[in-house]
Amino acid sequence: MKTVKKFLAVLLAAVTVFSLSACGSDPNQTTGTAPAASASSEAEKSGPDDSKNVKIGVLVSDVTSAEALAFRAYYEEYIQKQYNVTFMYSDELADAAAEASAIDNFIANNCKAIISFASADRPAQIEQCEANGVYYAVATGTLTDEQYEKFKSYKYYVGAIGPDLMTEYMAGYNMAKSFLDQGYKYFGMFGGATPYYTEMHIYRAAGMLVAMCEAGKGTYLGASDFGGMIGAIYGAGCQLAPAVIGDVELVGYVGGYDFDDAWFGKLAAVANDPKVEVLLAVGSGQTAFAGFKREGQKLGDIDCYTKDSVALMESGTLNYLAGKFSASIGPIFMATLSAVQGHPIRNAEGNAFAIGQGYWVADNAETAKEYFAVDSSKTEPAYTRAMLDTLYGASYQDFENFVKAYSFDEIKNLAK
Amino acid sequence: MENEKIIRKEQTRERLLRLAPVMGLILLFAVFMAIAVIRDINIPYSFKNIINQSVIVVVGATGAVFIYTLGSFDISLGASLCVSALLGAMAYNRSGSLLVMLLTCVGVAVLISLISSVLASVFNLPVFVTTIAMLSLLNALALVLIGANGTGDVIQVPAAAVRGINNVWVKLAVMLIYLGFCVFMFNYTKLGRHEKFQGGNPVCAKLTGLNGKRLAIAAFAIAGIGVGLGAFLTITYAPTLSRNTASSVGMDIIISIVFGGMPVSGGARSRIWSAAIGAVSMTLLNQIMLTLSLDSGIGQMVKALIFILVVFISMSNNKGNILPR
Amino acid sequence: MIQTVEIRNMSKRFGPTIALADVSITALGGEVLGLIGENGSGKSTVTSIYAGMQHADSGEMFFMGKPWSPTSMTDALRRGVGMIVQENGTVPGITVAENIFLGETQEFTRGLFVDRKKMTAQAQKALDDIGAGHISASVPAGMLDFQDRKLVEIAKVMAKAPSVLVVDETTTALSQKGRDIIYEIMARMKAEGKTVIFISHDLDEIMEQCDRLTVLRDGKIIRTFSAEEYDPDAIRTSMIGREIQGSYYRSDYEKDAGTETVLKADDLCLSDQLVHLSMELHAGEILGIGGLSHCGMHTLGKVLFGAEHAESGSFTVHGKTIRNEAEAMKEGLGYVAKDRDSESLCTEASIRDNISVAGLDKFAVKDVLILPGREKKYVGEQVAALQIKCSSADQYVSALSGGNKQKVAFGKWTGRGSDILILDCPTRGVDIGVKQAMYRLMYRMRQEGKSILLISEELAELIGMSDRLLVMKDGSISKEFLRSPELSEADVIRCMI
Repeated sequence: MKTVKKFLAVLLAAVTVFSLSACGSDPNQTTGTAPAASASSEAEKSGPDDSKNVKIGVLVSDVTSAEALAFRAYYEEYIQKQYNVTFMYSDELADAAAEASAIDNFIANNCKAIISFASADRPAQIEQCEANGVYYAVATGTLTDEQYEKFKSYKYYVGAIGPDLMTEYMAGYNMAKSFLDQGYKYFGMFGGATPYYTEMHIYRAAGMLVAMCEAGKGTYLGASDFGGMIGAIYGAGCQLAPAVIGDVELVGYVGGYDFDDAWFGKLAAVANDPKVEVLLAVGSGQTAFAGFKREGQKLGDIDCYTKDSVALMESGTLNYLAGKFSASIGPIFMATLSAVQGHPIRNAEGNAFAIGQGYWVADNAETAKEYFAVDSSKTEPAYTRAMLDTLYGASYQDFENFVKAYSFDEIKNLAK
Repeated sequence: MENEKIIRKEQTRERLLRLAPVMGLILLFAVFMAIAVIRDINIPYSFKNIINQSVIVVVGATGAVFIYTLGSFDISLGASLCVSALLGAMAYNRSGSLLVMLLTCVGVAVLISLISSVLASVFNLPVFVTTIAMLSLLNALALVLIGANGTGDVIQVPAAAVRGINNVWVKLAVMLIYLGFCVFMFNYTKLGRHEKFQGGNPVCAKLTGLNGKRLAIAAFAIAGIGVGLGAFLTITYAPTLSRNTASSVGMDIIISIVFGGMPVSGGARSRIWSAAIGAVSMTLLNQIMLTLSLDSGIGQMVKALIFILVVFISMSNNKGNILPR
Repeated sequence: MIQTVEIRNMSKRFGPTIALADVSITALGGEVLGLIGENGSGKSTVTSIYAGMQHADSGEMFFMGKPWSPTSMTDALRRGVGMIVQENGTVPGITVAENIFLGETQEFTRGLFVDRKKMTAQAQKALDDIGAGHISASVPAGMLDFQDRKLVEIAKVMAKAPSVLVVDETTTALSQKGRDIIYEIMARMKAEGKTVIFISHDLDEIMEQCDRLTVLRDGKIIRTFSAEEYDPDAIRTSMIGREIQGSYYRSDYEKDAGTETVLKADDLCLSDQLVHLSMELHAGEILGIGGLSHCGMHTLGKVLFGAEHAESGSFTVHGKTIRNEAEAMKEGLGYVAKDRDSESLCTEASIRDNISVAGLDKFAVKDVLILPGREKKYVGEQVAALQIKCSSADQYVSALSGGNKQKVAFGKWTGRGSDILILDCPTRGVDIGVKQAMYRLMYRMRQEGKSILLISEELAELIGMSDRLLVMKDGSISKEFLRSPELSEADVIRCMI
């Protein structure tokens, strides 16, 4: 028995020594020059190299939402079938440590790049990838100005495509304005993750409130414009409350994602308030309000196009939807693949790109149906392979023009 | 002659059962290596990854063995780690000193553990009852700390400050020193022996002069050191902390301890190495699931089945054969 | 008389241990058959197999001439064979009635509900029938003392009117009243032409109650004695396979016990268990404490060890007040509890752990560090001195026989050199050979100047071993007897009741 124990101890020690000695080695052999600032027309003409499989890790903080599932479907059921790539998805990521751990897992499994939908600690993600020679790209989001300045020249930072904060602000502004222009004055609002200091939702809420201030000729928390409203919201600890805004009124407000009986009760109370004419949501409006909405009440949401949301539009339950389209993550994929295969897309200064991309807006069922049909197509999505191949090794200007032409009609033109 | 054969067979069976967790670890390692070679993964980086992913649970769970040995358990360890890390980060931001951060992490964690155990002693409650209350309290405290810090929904330590110590050697050193301390305390000191006896038969322990309440306090204090070290390592690994930091650590600790062959009810047959073996085994299993690209749901089911099998094996030690006295 | 029980060529092993080797037994209707043997002899194994508790590896069984193979104890009882065991067989968290009809509540079910009134009434009748009417069928069993819980088990079995009753060492845990109830049941069954198989360690009792007596040793039948052939020495010799050397208890009657007071109790009061009790224990003395089961003597043992606290009064050890067990141990006290498995030992731990845990301060370096070599020596000395039969000191205590477990319980205290031992029923459930060894140990300790407080329900043991014998009744000392060859059990019993 002692012999068996000794053998096991020696075996474990050997494994430890082997693993420790191997730990010092560089996980990714990277050679090569600094990224080219100019386009490589040869690369663009030949298109992506499909001869060798490229593994790409995908960081997702939320795996079950409709938006997350739609994005995943586009990558796995279209892109992965069109290109010689394999996507490796993380589990739901609760915090920065989970993100770091997921990236470690991707690197261990020889992922050459990471596309990130998770934002608990983007700077840490970028640093981790840079240290290990793995390309990193931000999908459906952006870095702050300060972060961009710091990371724009990092060799392995590809760039970010997504609604910047001004786009988020305008999405909320335009949604509220569309109802204000129809003469509605009494609103209920769902603030989503605003209490958790989530910038995306803060800016959307700010947009809605500024639109109300303009229409009602009043103020909210003493502010009535973009800069003032952002400051006021942060000043209030991101805890919003109902208020009279001149001729307009924010009758009811619920923030957070408690998902308990009290939370649902508060949402029902806002929806059932006889004064409330329009319910606005910074996100997840269908979850928050659709079940409680009264006959004749209006509902506007900033979310994504799904079968359910289209059905709600058709039934008149949902009246306004500003949604990301699932193929919007096509260009960031192509930029990443291009970088992995030696043709990174850099701007004129040789830095990574940061390009804003907005939403498809539908205010009637027909438009929503039309958008959804394209968005959910597994053979002819909004961005097909033919379209994405034009981005491979493209110049920064061509790339930017392509991405910025994101409205439904503009994409239809691109496809022709 | 036949008797001797049967005796040897029984003794071998019992020894194999005791060694089952270690053999399971070796088997998992072998499977992992085989898959790693076939799937051509980055093996050196994987080892580093395994250390990164298991070290926090190893230190937390090894200290928790002292609690579980008493037949008790603590469900607030994850929340305690979160609060300790948050306060440690705040201490660093005030002082600029990593040593202050470390001492704060450990001090806060030990204090939290002592509060749980002392409250239980004063009110004469089973200790796990106070840990349930502490869980709610600590979750609320985490939110208060984040709010009070005034930096949105996170508390951060500058990444550059911890980059130097965020490496495998530091983690291994912390883990091995603490493991060594716990092994020593558990196997070679009066305290460890008393803990095991208390867990095995509290009535007999009392009639042997053991003070159950004092033993509980000591066990929680030792566990608190582990949690504090885990908090420190969490900050070095991911210096952005939120209310969700370490949210799964509490459950990971329980699973690791059981996976490593620790008797569910504690007692005299508790093993201090269970936590380390279990934590590394769990990490290897996770890596195997990931490399095989198993769907998250299927991966969870596989892990659950293996967990049940491990518990079954560890509990099947001669229970069925009762020799009348 | 018809043959009700027949067991043919039964064998059973537990791992390497041969529990039964080709055992054949018969028992007749209208007969009380005694089974006697040391621990591990197989007497409990053979009856437990017949009563459905477990299965044999080979052999055949017959009941009333027909093949017999019960699937469980419940099945066996339903079909006419019941067994009462020595250890606790009731569930504390449910009522007496629920215990009596455990597993049979469907008999009282009306639709979705259980007719508790009817169940309780029938349970009360079962208790009344065996003379235990003082027990209420509606109280939780956990509220009853050990004896009354045992009577509940008896009522449970007798409610089914079995044709064969196995009484497995039940009487050793009962007071005289409890024993009388069982003897009455046995006599009634015999008169009704039914069969009783009676297992006991008490030779006098078994000879008195049984028509025939079968001796087992090491899983084999050694000899069957008819009533005419009863001879205690011959029976003992058959049991242990050798003649008992010397006398069983002490043979001396010198009054040379020490006079120095090591323990003094003054006017102790605790509920109705201790009522103004005062006593002294001297160095080099064996002080016996006897009485009925509920006289308070077991509580006295716990109070003197600091495990329970008197409401008033005081006691000192070497002149010092004791507040808890740790202080008691520091003053040299040791305590072997009556309930060995629950209070004296940690059965899931090893022999080494059990013996060393009480003496860590004796061999640990700076009272903290345990060196394996020192511990091995410390434990090894006790294993050798007490002749504990084991494969090694790392063997789990749960695998030991009752006698060896008791030796481990002793070893805890002898190892740390306790000079005052409180022993509560130390030879309960222990076979003759080990009993004798323990008596020798107690005497040797006495000769070394140590003190023993011997609490026991066995009068012969108390009379045979004590320098002084204090009889307790209703929480007080009713009489003190000095050691004398003329002292009889009758003298003692008169003061107990």
